[in-house]
Amino acid sequence: MKKFIILLMIVGAVRAHEMVPTYPTWETTYVDGVLKTTMELFNKRDDVEYYEIGVFDEAFWPIPFVTTYKVLKVKYLSHVDVDIYIKKEDKDKAMYICSKSKIKKEEVIRTAVSSRICSKFKKDL
Amino acid sequence: MVKALLASIIAFSFAAVAENNSINGTVQSRCIISTDTEGTYGNPNAYTLTTSTSDGGVLAVTRFDVTLADAYYAQITAPSEFSSSPALPDVVTWTGDTEVQAVSDATGMADYETNKVEFNMTDKYDLTATGSTWFKTSSVATMGGDKAFPGGSYTALVVAECIAQ
Repeated sequence: MKKFIILLMIVGAVRAHEMVPTYPTWETTYVDGVLKTTMELFNKRDDVEYYEIGVFDEAFWPIPFVTTYKVLKVKYLSHVDVDIYIKKEDKDKAMYICSKSKIKKEEVIRTAVSSRICSKFKKDL
Repeated sequence: MVKALLASIIAFSFAAVAENNSINGTVQSRCIISTDTEGTYGNPNAYTLTTSTSDGGVLAVTRFDVTLADAYYAQITAPSEFSSSPALPDVVTWTGDTEVQAVSDATGMADYETNKVEFNMTDKYDLTATGSTWFKTSSVATMGGDKAFPGGSYTALVVAECIAQ
């Protein structure tokens, strides 16, 4: 069993999607009524080049936000910092920031894995 | 004497160019989703595509690594449509399931499978321990009316989500 897990860890270290922080917080900006947070994406999936960013409420309904690109190009093995801005009035509604991998259409009969990681705004932070 | 002088000059010159080079890092809680194995559909008969190994398919395996206990849910959804396919002659019926395949902490993660919550094609796991968990997802697509799947490429998506609690 140990050998199996070690083998899986070696094989499985190839394709991964990562986003931090887990519990982001909003910061004030120099623009009145606008809040900002910064997320860091790391792409260790060689089959994915693009990630879509979204801000959601408790029920995963989308909340309006602004960022440079909603679909970001993140090269394999590279880190990207994303600044996300929302209106101050949406602060209490916004609960999750999610990044989702965008899969390319390919010529094979297979199942692909679409990964999504969601960080959460904790109200007590 | 000259040799000693030369040696001390060389030593001092090396000392002069030496610099400290730091490596910085931040440790923080995180969830990492890794695709260990992309599933493959076998085609045991004209109207079925399945990831079952006995029918020539391969199960999709996804790994979740978490560095903080009780901080994340893993939510895995088996496919319920093709993301790309040729034009289909009839409606496709989908079945699928996700199970824990392996864990890095046999004690702390022993209850993951029994405590999971299932709704439709989605299985939700509470990641109560730090470490790695491997989930295997099966998928079967059956063409309606026993009609044959047209020749061509088919892709279906397993959606693996790691949601902070």
